[in-house]
Order: sequence, then C-alpha cells, then structure tokens
Amino acid sequence: MRFDTVIIGGGLSGLTAGISLQEAGRKVAIVSAGQNAMHFFSGNFEDIGPARDRVAALFAAAGVRTNAMDGLQLMPMGSFRPASLTLEDVTVFPDEHAAEKALIVNFTGFHDFYGTFIAEALEKAGATCRIRFVHLPEMEHLRLSPSEMRSVNIARAMDEHWEKVVGDIRILHKDEDLIILPQVFGLRDAAVLDKIRTALPARVAFVGTMPPSVPGIRTQMLLKRRFEVLGGTFLMGDEVTSAALHEGVVSSITTRNLDTARIFADHFILSSGGYFSKGLVTTPTQVIEPLFGLDIAFPENRNDWYDADFFAHQPYMDFGVKTDAELHAIKDGQPIQNLFAIGSVLGNTRKEDFGTAAGMAIRTAFAAADTIKGGNV
Amino acid sequence: MKRNEYDVIIVGGGITGAGTARDCAMRGLRVLLIERHDIATGATGRNHGLLHSGARYAVTDQESANECIRENMILRRIASHCVDETDGFFITLPEDDLNYQAKFVESCLAAGIPAEIVDPKDALRMEPALNPDLIGAVKVPDGSVDPFRLCAANMVDAKLHGAQVLLYTEVTGFIKNGDRIVGVKTYNHQTHKSGEYYANITVNAAGIWGQHIADLAGVKIGMFPAKGALLIFAHRVNGIVINRCRKPSNADILVPGDTVCIIGTTSTKIPFEECDGVRVTPEEVNLLVEEGAKLAPALASTRILRAYAGVRPLVSADNDPSGRNISRGIVCLDHEQRDGLKGFITITGGKLMTYRLMAEMATDMVCKKLSVDKACETAEIPLPGAGVRSFREVAEKIWENPTTVQKAVAGRLGTGAARVQAADSLDQSLICECEEVSVGEINSAIERLDVNGLTDLRRRTRVGMGTCQGELCGCRAAGLLAKAHGCTDRAREDLKEFMTERWKGMYPIGWGDALREAEYTQWVYKHVLGV
Repeated sequence: MRFDTVIIGGGLSGLTAGISLQEAGRKVAIVSAGQNAMHFFSGNFEDIGPARDRVAALFAAAGVRTNAMDGLQLMPMGSFRPASLTLEDVTVFPDEHAAEKALIVNFTGFHDFYGTFIAEALEKAGATCRIRFVHLPEMEHLRLSPSEMRSVNIARAMDEHWEKVVGDIRILHKDEDLIILPQVFGLRDAAVLDKIRTALPARVAFVGTMPPSVPGIRTQMLLKRRFEVLGGTFLMGDEVTSAALHEGVVSSITTRNLDTARIFADHFILSSGGYFSKGLVTTPTQVIEPLFGLDIAFPENRNDWYDADFFAHQPYMDFGVKTDAELHAIKDGQPIQNLFAIGSVLGNTRKEDFGTAAGMAIRTAFAAADTIKGGNV
Repeated sequence: MKRNEYDVIIVGGGITGAGTARDCAMRGLRVLLIERHDIATGATGRNHGLLHSGARYAVTDQESANECIRENMILRRIASHCVDETDGFFITLPEDDLNYQAKFVESCLAAGIPAEIVDPKDALRMEPALNPDLIGAVKVPDGSVDPFRLCAANMVDAKLHGAQVLLYTEVTGFIKNGDRIVGVKTYNHQTHKSGEYYANITVNAAGIWGQHIADLAGVKIGMFPAKGALLIFAHRVNGIVINRCRKPSNADILVPGDTVCIIGTTSTKIPFEECDGVRVTPEEVNLLVEEGAKLAPALASTRILRAYAGVRPLVSADNDPSGRNISRGIVCLDHEQRDGLKGFITITGGKLMTYRLMAEMATDMVCKKLSVDKACETAEIPLPGAGVRSFREVAEKIWENPTTVQKAVAGRLGTGAARVQAADSLDQSLICECEEVSVGEINSAIERLDVNGLTDLRRRTRVGMGTCQGELCGCRAAGLLAKAHGCTDRAREDLKEFMTERWKGMYPIGWGDALREAEYTQWVYKHVLGV
C-alpha cells in the first residue's frame, strides 16, 4: 500500500492536516486509535491567531460552523474565557454582562452541568437568574443504570425529543432575555441548534458540560466524513506497531489490523497526541516518544517534572518532541526529512511560533501540510 | 451548670480521640471532643489499614503482639463492617533466613496468635500474587480495616451517647486554676471565633501533635516523629495480606483494601516542623516499588494510584535513630502523678489496632479521677453499622439500588446503609463511578456526618478515592455541596483544595498511567470547566 502522506493520529491536528492535503489532491491515510482530545473539546480554539479565517473556511466546507468573533466564552464553572474562534455551539459574549435576566435550564438528575455556578457568575455581573429543571419521560430509560445520565446519552435522546424540551422551556420562560442550556444538543446534526434558537423567545446560550463534549464529538465526526469524502483513507481503531527508518527517512509503517502489510508513503505526520493519547509515554526516569524514539528534552530529576500546586503551570506539559523550524521531527540530533510532528506530541516546545492548545494543534497541522505541498508556510 | 461545662474534654479527632469519646460517653460522662481539622486527618487516615494479627511484633515485643491479637478479635465483632477478614501470610524469600520462621511461629504462639506453617506451593494456590520464589509461608489472622469508617463509626456512636464534637476547632491554650487544668481555649477556623470550654479532666489524644498540646499545658513529653511512606496500587493485586518473615523492615507489608492494595512503609525521623506537611520523595517511591515487587511481582507492572505518608506518634524511649525498635506500646500518662498537674491526661503511643484498648485505659483513668464506677463495654457493644455479618441482609433493605451499588454501600456503611436515601431513581444516580457512590449516599453523609467540604466527604464516602482520583466526581459532588450549603464560592474554593490535595498524592508517582490521568484532569479543569 502506498500513500503520498500517512498521518499517525486522527484528532484535531491529524484531521486538519489530512483534509488540507486531500483538498490539494494528495492521497492521504490517517491511522486512528479511536477516541481523541476532540471528545473533551471546550469548543474554543484558544491561541488560533493568524489561522482563524483559514480554519473557519476548512471547517465550513466540512459542515462545521464556527463563530469568528472576539469576546468571552462562559465556562461551566462560571468563569469567562477570551475567545476569538469557537464552534457554533458556543455563545460569545462581548463582556461579562451577559444578560439582564437569565433562565438556566438543566435536566433533572443531570450532575454534569452546573447551573448554580453559572448563575452566581452572571449575578456577579448584575444579572438576575432562575434555575429550572426539565424532565422527559422519554429519558427515564437512562436512569435504569445509575451512570447513564451523561451528556452523550442525553444528547442521543435530545436528537429525537428536542422539541418537547423546547415546549417545556417555553412554559418555564417568563421575561428573561437569555436562556442557558447545557451543550447536549445536535449530536448528529447541528441544525437543531438553530431550530432551538428560533423556537425560543429569548437569546439562547449553550454552555459546556463535563466530558464527553457533544460539540467536540460531532465536529470530529464531520471532519472525518469530510476527509473521507475528499478521498482520504481513515483507518479507524487501528494503531501503528512499527516504523522503518532508512538513511534518515521513514520508508514505511505497519499497523496492528493490517498485520504484515507495510504502508509506504513519501511523507509521514506524527499527530499522536500527548500523554493521555500515549503519543508521549513516561517511565519513572524517562519521557519517551514510543514509535520513533524521537528526541525529547526533560529534566533528569523527576521532582522537576511537576509543580506541587495542581492549578499552577505543570512543567511536564512543556515536554515534547523536538523539531526544526519546519516541524521536522528530530531523532538523535538529526531532523528526519519526511517526518513532521504536530499537535500535542510537541508539548509546548513550539509555543513561541504556534501558541498552545487547540490553536497550536491546527496551526502546526497547516504548517506541516504546507511544507509537504511545497507551498508557503 | 453552664452550657460549656463538661466532665471531660478530649483533644484530637483521630481514632484514639474518637474511641475515647465513645467510651467516656458510654460510661455516662458529658463529653466534648475538639479537633482542629476533620476526623482521621492525622496518622489514623495515613497508615496501611492493616488489621494486625500481632505477628509482626511477636519476636520483638510480646506485649504489643498480645494486645494486637486480642483487639483484632474484638474489632472483628464490634466493627465487622470496617473489617475485611483476609488472613495474612508471612513469607520467606530465598535471601531471607528460613531459620527465623521457627522462632517466629514459636513467638506467635506464645503471644496467643494462631500461626500455621503452610507449604509454599499451597500458599501460592491460596494467594497467586505471591512471589513464586518463596521458600516458606506462615498463615496468621491478619486482615484489613478501613480506618476512616472505623473513626466515623466511633464518632457517630459517641454522639449517639450524648457526646459533642467540634471539628475545625483548634485548642490554643489551657485555662488553669492553680495546679489544675480546668478548661481549654479554642479558635474555630471556620467561624473565626474564639471560645472557652470547661471540664474536670482534659484528655490529650492528639497523636504526634500531642507534644504541642502538652507544651500548651506546661508539661513536657518527648515524642518521636517517624514518617512512614506508603503507595496505593490501583488494583487489589492480593486477596491475603503479605508480610516478610524477617525482622521488621522497610516496605514489607502489602495489604488488600476495598478495590486497591497498599504497600508500606518506610521509617524516617523527621523534625516536628515537618509533621503538618509530609511529602513522599522519589527515593521512597522507588524503594517501596522495588521492595513491594519482592512480595508480589505483579506490583512492578501495576498502576500506582497515589503516594502518602503519615507520622507515627511514638514516645521516645531510647536512642535508636530509625524509630523502629521503639515499642508500639501504649503510653497513658497521668500528669498529676508525673508532673503535679491535675486534670490532665495524655494517651499516646499504641497504634490503630489498639485504639479501643487505649481508649479504655484513658477512660478508666478519667473515671477513677471522677469517681465514676461503670465498667467499660466497648469490647462487647458493636459500633453503629456492625452487627450484621452478611452484606446480603443489609443489601436487601436497599434492594431498589443496582447490585454493585448495594455491595459498595453495604460495605461502607454496614447496617447504616438502610438509612441511605433511595426515594427514587434520582438518588441512585452515581456521583463517583470508581467507588460507586450515589447521590443518596452523599446527601445522607452531608446531612448526618458533619461534612464541611469535599475532603471531609471523601473520608466518609470514598468519593474521589478511586482510579480517576476525583477528576469527574469532584465536580459533581461540589455541585451537591453547593446546593446543600447554598454557597457556590465556597464550593468552588473547596473543589480547588480537593484537587490540590489529590494531586499531592499523585505527583510523587507521576509517570505512566498516573500522568496520563493527571494530564487529562488538567485539561478538563483548565480548558473544559474553566476552574
């Protein structure tokens, strides 16, 4: 099997690079283990910087609508966070005075959405809030198991029964100018969001829940579909088992599902993620990139990997694969000319050039894809 | 008589204080217990949770060994819901001296501990996690005990017998009348109010902090803070307690408890200033993993959940720098006889296993001073929640809960499980999925068990003690607390403290899956929830 480019990892970074290359007519395969950080996505492309319009266009073509607007995102625990590009689910407010009067609606027994915290934040900014609960008999089956009242399960029920909930909210609504709902709508199709906005008599803001993230899962699904529609090969539920390196370039890989069949490509992109995704692996003494054994800088003394304050910046979050200016991965001090490292596997090593978080995942994906295409970086 | 007058004031809300409060209250005394943090925050909550058979001390300290086996049998009766009757092995490895085994068994039998030599092959069949290289095994009646549950049960029973309990209240000084202590001065860390309470007798049961309490009273006790570090593994690797059959040393006990197992401990002398914030070092972690894998090789590849350390409240007796040769024996000081200070008693030394006996000795002394003639009944009357041997009988009372939750709740609360709200399916909804803690159980704890925050809640329900270390349930429980206490600012600050406290035990073992979990938690809290 031969491709122009093989991408290892099907998260935000890998999909963005894959779509970008497929759009340019390249033949791309993505090897994806399955779940990725998109399932825990807040919907805010932090640090997107100069790539804002480009990614908005790429996503729009995939059916993912975004808000390109500078403002504040209302977070689940009641804080506000700056945003310049978000998924359409996220309402961006110009300032913390989000409403005069807000109605916060939750589902009875749903413990992953925190109305009281949101209410308090809005009240501090001068609003008055009411928290009300809705309950559908159609959701009763979720309670048969005590761990089923979670965002995605509710979202599945809402894909079918959202109109009933809207009906209940219309009865609850008095004179509020803002209605706040948990992000449990439009798992299959984001069109529901607009329908809800139109059907309710006030502005609607969807606020995040505990993971999994319904907007994140939908986005991942749409991006994957877009990649495949463009002709890309998405190897789902597979993982790379070995990589062959000859004279400083990667020639081929093998995967678990394809057994002995080798996959050859001109270029390889490593978007295997950070620690959680096992793109980076730690032992008591080392930080390792397990597939290629790429260079990673980390302090020898394990005490220096952490800050005792959980909420302080954690040094281990900075560790990542070393790269040259064009994101070629470095092994034994030498850049591998056809291997690019993008996304969380970089840690914060390229913060100055590409920022951090979701913005970094996208910007490094574009940069690597552009280099491969031979275009402008 | 004034409202703030009592027969006896007990300083310290660990297991010794709680047990003493229960005993005093059961003998009809008016009791006030004062604790500066929450229950079980000192050494009580920071040990193996080993229900010692006493075998560990048999060779070196017959008296302690005998105390242990007697209390062991008593706790099985009065605290059945806190005890897991696992039995224990003392194994001999090729590098150990097998001759020690004979002396060991002989000493056990002399102390009244049933000890039976088991063929290594049979031992392996009974406990497959054992190091297969073992050359000898002795079976003894060790077990595991949940110290949080045990402490809470004593506290609840003391209150049922009329005792009053002040948590988050620190003793700042004593009120004296001539050569007699007649009361204590306090400061409440939550209300920021000072107070004064009076009693004929004050019992110092503050563990390692008892030296400071004695200082405040104007008497000197030479205590010996010895730090012991332990690791919790994410799986119950062994079903039977595993010890090394040799002179007690580092990391030679592996105890199964609930869904996990615990290896420990080390012993390091530390200065008093460090007692409040003990941390586990990478060197200690390495030693515990290395030595632990000799007991059960699977530990080398098992995920570690967290590291923690406690400080043994030992009373200095000799010049041994490690603190290991000091007797675990009980020290009950009558300061009237010792220092000429009336109305003041110190109960210290000892260990979790002998808390009830310590409480009995202290209470006997209190009763003698107050001329109260009532015999101790704590060895016969079961603690609240105990008394039903099979969880099935309890579980039937909460039949409407899913079976796994029935097991978890009945295990934690014993007969008290019947009190957990399960009015409807809403109460059954799980807050903590790792430990199967439901909305109903959390609300019951908030209502009945003096819960001030998430960390208190953890000690009473195991919320956040499982694999995810509070990453998901922390927020959910914070939501319930915010509702119960009507204050979200407090709940949010509390959540931050809770996560910081969880992290304290995670970063010393921050590699592999533990670091994966930590990175995920960081992401969820910072980027998704915006804490």
